[in-house]
Amino acid sequence: MTAIAHKLCMLGDFGVGKTSLVSRFVHSTFSEKYLTTVGVKVDSREIALPGRAACKLVLWDIAGRSHLDALNMTYLRGASALLLVADGTRERSLNTALELLMQSRSLLPAAEVVLAVNKLDLVEQWEIAPAVLAELRRTLPVHETSARSGEGVEAAFADIAGRLAA
Amino acid sequence: MPNPVQSAEAATGDRAEPAPSSTAAAASDLERLRALLLGDERRTLDALDARVDALDRNQSELASRLPAAIEGAQQGEGAARMARALAAPLTHTLGAAVRSNRQIIVDALFPVIGPAIRKAIAEALRNLVADVNRAVESSFTPRGLRWRIQAWRSGVSYAEIVLKHTLKYRIDHVFLIERESGLVLDRESAPHLPDLDADAIAGMLTAIGEFVRDSVGSEGGGTLDAARVGEHLLWVVQGPRANLACFIHGVPPPKLRALLEERLEAIHARLAAGETGTDAAWRSTLRPDALVRDFEMAEPAQAARPSRLPLLLIALAVLALLAWGIARRERNNAWIENLRARLSTHPGFVLTGIDASRNGVTIHGLLDPDADPPEPLLEGDPFARPVRLDATGYVSTDDDVLARRARRLLQAPESVTVTVRSGTLVLGGHAGAAWIDAARERAAWVPGVRAVELGIARDDAAAGARDALRRIAAAMPGRRVAFVRETEPAPESAAVLDAIIADALRAQALGASAGVPVAWIAVGTNDDPGSSVTNARLRADRARWLADALRARGLANVEAVSDDPAAADVRERGAFLRFAGADP
Repeated sequence: MTAIAHKLCMLGDFGVGKTSLVSRFVHSTFSEKYLTTVGVKVDSREIALPGRAACKLVLWDIAGRSHLDALNMTYLRGASALLLVADGTRERSLNTALELLMQSRSLLPAAEVVLAVNKLDLVEQWEIAPAVLAELRRTLPVHETSARSGEGVEAAFADIAGRLAA
Repeated sequence: MPNPVQSAEAATGDRAEPAPSSTAAAASDLERLRALLLGDERRTLDALDARVDALDRNQSELASRLPAAIEGAQQGEGAARMARALAAPLTHTLGAAVRSNRQIIVDALFPVIGPAIRKAIAEALRNLVADVNRAVESSFTPRGLRWRIQAWRSGVSYAEIVLKHTLKYRIDHVFLIERESGLVLDRESAPHLPDLDADAIAGMLTAIGEFVRDSVGSEGGGTLDAARVGEHLLWVVQGPRANLACFIHGVPPPKLRALLEERLEAIHARLAAGETGTDAAWRSTLRPDALVRDFEMAEPAQAARPSRLPLLLIALAVLALLAWGIARRERNNAWIENLRARLSTHPGFVLTGIDASRNGVTIHGLLDPDADPPEPLLEGDPFARPVRLDATGYVSTDDDVLARRARRLLQAPESVTVTVRSGTLVLGGHAGAAWIDAARERAAWVPGVRAVELGIARDDAAAGARDALRRIAAAMPGRRVAFVRETEPAPESAAVLDAIIADALRAQALGASAGVPVAWIAVGTNDDPGSSVTNARLRADRARWLADALRARGLANVEAVSDDPAAADVRERGAFLRFAGADP
């Protein structure tokens, strides 16, 4: 049975670990140099969902920016989901992720959104307070991830796939 | 404040010759004083000296330690760092070496470059030979002729047409990509190709297309329509809702793109009708083998449809040209043959050849100077080409030319007749004795003359003969042969006939003596009764009767005529003989 493909865009500040999360999740097809040349790198992976049709996530890893320019906005077109990525050790990256979400909402009002707070392996250095995350969870699905150890990565992407398949 | 050292030296400078013991003590003091005042600096200097010595030692040992150090740096992560560090100096070093020691570099690289060059040349030659073989094979076949006509009609070079038909191309992958999201709607690949991540490729293609449009596209929205990487060509056909991306190996014909556009238009028609997913029908139209097959089937039909009328016109033009050429050649051949026949019978000319071309005609042959000029025979070329006579002189043995040559060489007067019969020169008439004597000696030496017959009368003897001949000629018409009826002679006609034959034979002899040719005409007459038709027949019959009777008696040169002016006034049934020609 053919999996239904969905476009998922990774958004977040520079250095938060978007590319690392994608690399952890998929076997990358293209070189990361596309991020610095074209500004985006596309990979895909199929996820089996229990009791439902398989879902194929086409991941658009968009180069880290604090705001979306016109080119990046074209990359967002047609996306079914957004994975916001923040660095737990940098509280400012959370603000950037939320600003990017607000900016992209004008183009993608109905897209599924999930927040991944990355670098869980450095949790002792986190600047983002648990209370903040608790508050965020009331409006967004939040996953704590570590691209280095792989903790929470599968769950974050599976959560998105589940929401898309629902 | 005074310098203590200077003060000390000044204090000791007044002594001219100090004692040895006191001198040693003073030096010791000075040394102590130095150590007291300059101790720190001295230690610093000593340390610096030791460091310089160590550096010198390291410098001298660097050459022996450097290889091991470099080898050590190649281990682990140091290798990349070492490579980065050496990249720039090695580049500069190589550049300097090429400039200063080019030959060494050439010698070192030659074993590498040589095989590479040979391989490249061999590959290029193989391709060239293949191209030549293909061109030669196609040049002399119906297919080659068809391609030549196609090249002529379309204005494209023959080589391009050959390449278009002979270069193989192959469609490897076809992607139907949703324009907005970059997601794959359908993907078809040729069999036996390795699997690839179609979604990722389609996404990157879309992203690159957006990037190109955003970077270099005009405000009107330039798009990425084609890209080439090595032997692969990427064609992207843009549509409002979906794009068609084709990965092609080789050089496809440009019209293939039109087929792809047609397919994409058909897909958009389905999308507009509400279809959102792909089915077997979609996939069948996008399969690479189906695309190539459909294109190859459509292409000849498109090419053949408009070509019939021009081909027909060309064929007619060629036929007309051929017919015109054949007619022109036949006309030329006929004229040449006619010219050859005329020149072959022209006395004093021997035809050896005719060269006819578009620019002119040249007649080659031998021409006797005494022959009539052949130029009038050369006129009448139907193509009005210049005709040139290329003649070489020779001596002809034609009788007419020989007679003309004899008359010229012998300087014969008008009273002398010069004729040639089968190489025999016959001289007649009359002339002076001196000329006759000279002609008798020289006639046999005329080129081409085999024998000579002299029948020339001397002018003094000839005069008497001419007078006697004149009298006979004048009296001859008076001797009438009478007829009873029709051509029945009267009884007394036998005697008249005898007299006529006697005078005629005597006149023959006189003519030979006088150099005058003698000939006779037999004339018939009639009386008044009878119709003009009957009378004319009677006159002709009687003239013929007389001529026959005289021939029977030995007179050769007699001719019968039906009507003669000399008989106009005679009204009797008879016949008579008269001298032919003017007064002798």
